[in-house]
Amino acid sequence: MSYALVVAEVRRGVFEERNLDAIGLPTLMGKDVSLLVPDGTYAINEKLVNTIIKIKLEEAIFLNPLNIVSVIKTVMDSSGKPDVIVFTHSSSGAELASYAAGCLNLPLITDVNGFDKEKEVFYKSYYSDKIFGEFKQTGEGPFVITVRSGSFKEYAVEKASSPVDKIIEGIPVAEGRSFIEYVEEDKTDIDITKAEFLLSVGRGIGNKDEIPSYEELAGLLKATLSGSRPVIDKMWLPKARQVGTSGKTVKPKVYLAMGISGAFQHIAGMKDSDCIIAVNKDAEAPIFQYAHYGIIGDIHKVRDKLRDIVKG
Amino acid sequence: MNILVFTKRVPATQEEELRIIEEGQGIDLSKVPFKVNDWDNYAVEEAVQIAEKTGGSVTAISIGDAESDEVLRRAIAMGTKDGFLIETEKVLHDPNARATLVSEFLKKEGISYDAIFTGVQSEDDQFAAMGGILSAKLGLPYSSMVIGIDSFEKDHVIARRELEGGLQERIKMTLPCVLSIQSGINEPRYVSIMGIRKASKVERKFFKAKAYGDNISSTIEVVKWVYPPKKGGATMLSGELEGICKDLLGILKEKGVFQ
Repeated sequence: MSYALVVAEVRRGVFEERNLDAIGLPTLMGKDVSLLVPDGTYAINEKLVNTIIKIKLEEAIFLNPLNIVSVIKTVMDSSGKPDVIVFTHSSSGAELASYAAGCLNLPLITDVNGFDKEKEVFYKSYYSDKIFGEFKQTGEGPFVITVRSGSFKEYAVEKASSPVDKIIEGIPVAEGRSFIEYVEEDKTDIDITKAEFLLSVGRGIGNKDEIPSYEELAGLLKATLSGSRPVIDKMWLPKARQVGTSGKTVKPKVYLAMGISGAFQHIAGMKDSDCIIAVNKDAEAPIFQYAHYGIIGDIHKVRDKLRDIVKG
Repeated sequence: MNILVFTKRVPATQEEELRIIEEGQGIDLSKVPFKVNDWDNYAVEEAVQIAEKTGGSVTAISIGDAESDEVLRRAIAMGTKDGFLIETEKVLHDPNARATLVSEFLKKEGISYDAIFTGVQSEDDQFAAMGGILSAKLGLPYSSMVIGIDSFEKDHVIARRELEGGLQERIKMTLPCVLSIQSGINEPRYVSIMGIRKASKVERKFFKAKAYGDNISSTIEVVKWVYPPKKGGATMLSGELEGICKDLLGILKEKGVFQ
């Protein structure tokens, strides 16, 4: 039987929304979908898939690359080789997919954000999303794929009939890596998700010494200062101020992005803002594709001019 | 602890306009400057810090053309003991091919280690897969997105993985193992031009990729390079700086966030 195997992510008892993208891609490809999930009591719309395979493992043990390989091998032994194995392109999804592809000796394409049904090609981004590569499945498969969140969820639609339920028990648990605990981020700084107006700065500000002048501008505009990953990584702003998948998802009335090129992890964290204004010297920066208003230019000059006008 | 750390020389394309050439078969990188992959910079720093604390040494490894010696000298300037370059005739984009090459190299050269560090991903091809495939080929435990190493003992490591939305997961792995290091884990030390020049005196070893088997052909191929599809796009504010900034303030007023 021709089918796609989708590995779902459940974290702290929640079936993650990005799983819909992993279900959506093989649905778009016209495959029957078998969904691998850890057995549990979370909410899930079972009608989106043809088969649900519940694994008797706790979520953190299920999402351990060493264990997921045993799970996939067990499924392939009983159901045969799938046409494609799909993961989310998240922290755990990318980790599981690469380890599984290596163990099972299968070709891998990560961060897939498009599929052309007529040409049967997958799209993957390169060079900070400035170029896409077109990939075709050739030779021995199945392909192992991770999908970018937000790319395929609209294709995950309910089937007419309820799925077939299967349960797998007795998966051996590997000893090389074990889960200890979840660790929450320190919550001492302000909550940027509550701000109506965010002034967000990125790599383009150049160096740490520029931060105070953007703080000043944020103060004058009555905006809250936030930043993209490179600014947080360099410790120019605290972690609580990070916008993006590994930081906060924000939906302010206005999101003013200065010197942020727009990596997809950042876009995912701010694309639902009411109004996005981007200032960047690179006219090709991906953020202009998502912004409502754009300014191509030197962010420091824009900063200085805004300050001068507001100060009168 | 003896740690191997991978470092890659990548084109700095953040602020460059990239052109597709040869009817979709190539990308013109001839005018683009090159640099060390950001994630690898953090991985090198982390490895050096651990060796400084626990004793032992770090060896930097790069796969690429002769120019990649530059990132090895940089790693040495940051504190690695030495550097190995596995020289390839063409760019290996396929992480499967890169990992197979490395696992063959390590086995054939009999290189021993307690841990292998890679960056989470490289800036150019954004696969985030080399570490995972390599650990599978070597039969070692693996963790990606490592944002903190709490302890590094003789036989195990306790590390924190970055998940989404500010959540982390603490895990334990037995050694030897492979860790892919996330950016932001540390503050990479500054490297001066003088430091890199001095590093030239430290021995680097050069190896030819073709010596490590013929089974490093790619398992995937790009059929064609294309530009991303354009979405709606922004309304661009243009003209004199003063006018642009007044327009911007006008939008803020209209949206009710600024008086």
